Amino acid sequence: MSPSGSAEGMARLRRAVAGIEAGAGLSERAPRRLKLARALDSALGGGLADDALHEIAPAEPADEAAAMGFALALAARFLSQRPSAGLVIGEGFAAHETGALYGPGLIAHGLTLSRLVFVEAPDADAAFWAMEEALKSGGPAAVIGEIWNLRGYSLAASRRLLLAARKGRTPALLVLASAYGQAERMSSAAETRFEIAALPSARIPAAAGRDLPGPFACGARLVKARLTVFVDAVDSPSKDGRPSGRPMDRVRAQRARLHDAAHAVRLEWRSENLAFHEDLAFDDPPISLSLAAASGDGPRPASQPR
Amino acid sequence: MSPGLSLADARARLPVLVAVEAEPAEEARLLERLCDWCSRFTPLAALDGADGLILDISGVAHLFEGEAALVEDCLKRLAAQGIAAVAGVAGNPRAAWALARFSSQKIAPEILSDKAFAKLFHDLPLAALGLDDKTVADMARAGLRLIGDIALRPRAPITARFGAVPIGRLDALKGLERSSIAPRFMPPDFCAERRFASPIETLEAIEATLRKLADDLVVLLERQAKGARRIELSLYRVDGDVRRIRVGASRPLNEARAIARLFAERLASPHEDAIDAGFGVDLMRLSCLAAEPLAPSQVELDRAHEAERARALADLIDRLSARLGARAVTRRTLVEAHLPEQAEAAAPATLGEARTRGDATLLPHSPSRDGRLSTPYAGEGVRRSRSDEGERGVPARPLRLFVRPEPIEAVAEVPDGPPLRFRWRRVLHDVAAIEGPERIAAPWWRRPDAPTRDYFRAEDSQGRRFWLYREGLWGRETLRAKWFVHGVFG
Repeated sequence: MSPSGSAEGMARLRRAVAGIEAGAGLSERAPRRLKLARALDSALGGGLADDALHEIAPAEPADEAAAMGFALALAARFLSQRPSAGLVIGEGFAAHETGALYGPGLIAHGLTLSRLVFVEAPDADAAFWAMEEALKSGGPAAVIGEIWNLRGYSLAASRRLLLAARKGRTPALLVLASAYGQAERMSSAAETRFEIAALPSARIPAAAGRDLPGPFACGARLVKARLTVFVDAVDSPSKDGRPSGRPMDRVRAQRARLHDAAHAVRLEWRSENLAFHEDLAFDDPPISLSLAAASGDGPRPASQPR
Repeated sequence: MSPGLSLADARARLPVLVAVEAEPAEEARLLERLCDWCSRFTPLAALDGADGLILDISGVAHLFEGEAALVEDCLKRLAAQGIAAVAGVAGNPRAAWALARFSSQKIAPEILSDKAFAKLFHDLPLAALGLDDKTVADMARAGLRLIGDIALRPRAPITARFGAVPIGRLDALKGLERSSIAPRFMPPDFCAERRFASPIETLEAIEATLRKLADDLVVLLERQAKGARRIELSLYRVDGDVRRIRVGASRPLNEARAIARLFAERLASPHEDAIDAGFGVDLMRLSCLAAEPLAPSQVELDRAHEAERARALADLIDRLSARLGARAVTRRTLVEAHLPEQAEAAAPATLGEARTRGDATLLPHSPSRDGRLSTPYAGEGVRRSRSDEGERGVPARPLRLFVRPEPIEAVAEVPDGPPLRFRWRRVLHDVAAIEGPERIAAPWWRRPDAPTRDYFRAEDSQGRRFWLYREGLWGRETLRAKWFVHGVFG
């Protein structure tokens, strides 16, 4: 079969699945898409869907903190869209192994502490159960899971999470903490998968000595994107069910770009704006907001008097 | 054979005597267990010293066909557990105590005339007043041995000589003084129970009964337009074991299904031991330990959707808490503390929305209109205004904090300078960018000798960020400063 023929076949199958799911009352509305960054949004079909499973894997073991930082940044963006609270689900032992999420640090990262609920599951199975329950309930504004033990994470398990996310219309951000370097080899039902690597931050020149570190920066590689944009593009113009050629080409071009290994987008998180700042040459140099903290006298109280 | 006899004397009297070490702690635990078990008769059960229990059976006895039948039932059940007990029933705890321990007639008539009182108590020894040994011995020297001896004498001389206690106890015995007991568990606001003529053993039967109990409890709650925040299920086993299972709800619950589901979740939890019905459960009680008025359920139409989500979230938190334990599902708040590890506190999410202290003021503010930072930083020499700092000066804190700071080997140019490179978990990191020090001193009013910490935000050549600190001020507190990594940034 020619490449375009197989793509048509895929399109037909996708439409069939979409039809079944629509019959089951699963996709009653189009997902709202959360804009991420110009370089990624086109490949994502406008942004991250708020009713799907998104996987985030570190590129190397030491990049896990960066992967979590990226996931929490996404969560902060999702939380800014809805008034409900976010759920952070992790395995209990991880706090001892990798450090526990730290409230003041989360606030510095742009999250609101009072709008987060932390769930400590005894093991990965319980964590997946908690994620699924949370997604199904439709209560939280976002569900962030950080799982180290991925033995139980199969295609079926990811499919369960995806369906739960659809049902509750809640975005699921799953950090595959131990899946470093496997982002391209894994198979799951997730809509998107990112591979995150830490990147040197934009340094701030210091008066003397070494430069100061800037805000959180990471390299994000979109390893997988289930192209719902593809189905949309094909479905909308043609009434007879035959896909037209033009969107297909676009999709193939996108796909080629997605699987370009070198195509990691440098993202810089601006916690004040709750937005990613793309690394574009003509933009302002980044500003460290924590300089004041460093130069201040003595310890800082937890809250700032106005 | 009596208490206080020496072992040698006892052996002389009874050569086959088996001596066992006393274990007061174990005995106390057994007594507490018995006390819990006794709450099958009345919710007001209290410990009495090291070897007794007091049950308040006012208004309960008729459920067991009278006081005598209640006592008989209680003693029979205790005997079945291998516990020898004596019981006394009277109008007040003091009298019941005296009857149980010193009298041959165990049950006092309901209405006690002076004559009947004299008949019942006057022949009992003074120890039956619960006086200490010294007072009893003193009074014995004065020729006072029985309760009747002081009851029939003028009160003033006795008070003058032996203090107010003996006469006070006598009044308590007569019921002239109001006495109360300190029950081990507060009686619940609402409770529903089921007793079984033949004990039930299967989990299905227990769950079915739980649903019925939840229905009953909800009826009680509805009468006062309340919902349950904390609920306890007690299972009384035939062999005397009492299993209590508690669940909490983050909003007042008044739906039987929701209550039953919380318990089902709890029972399925990996933390919870499976219910072992043993030889069967003959009493199940569902009590509401804390009830709150129901929040008005009418919501404005346009906010109905968000209210729905909030409700779903509350239910979700309850379910997760029931399954994983209330401590596993938390909300956090900031605490005003100098030491970073004490700067936050976690509270079970079932307690409801955490009070946010200082959280709001620390929040990064809404983006400025152009979407960029409006405060330019122009190298050294520019001091940011105070208000600006207050608004935007979020201190650099790591995303993750280690429970225990991990020691590292660090190399610095000068002993009190920032590190050049460090080795953590066997990996060498070259510090490419660094910010600091931020000096954080331990609270001197609590631990005067705790070393000061100098914190640094270090980024290695690959862009990984660490929160390091040096413990001890060089030259003043220590000459060999120790380095630690306390957290990692995202």
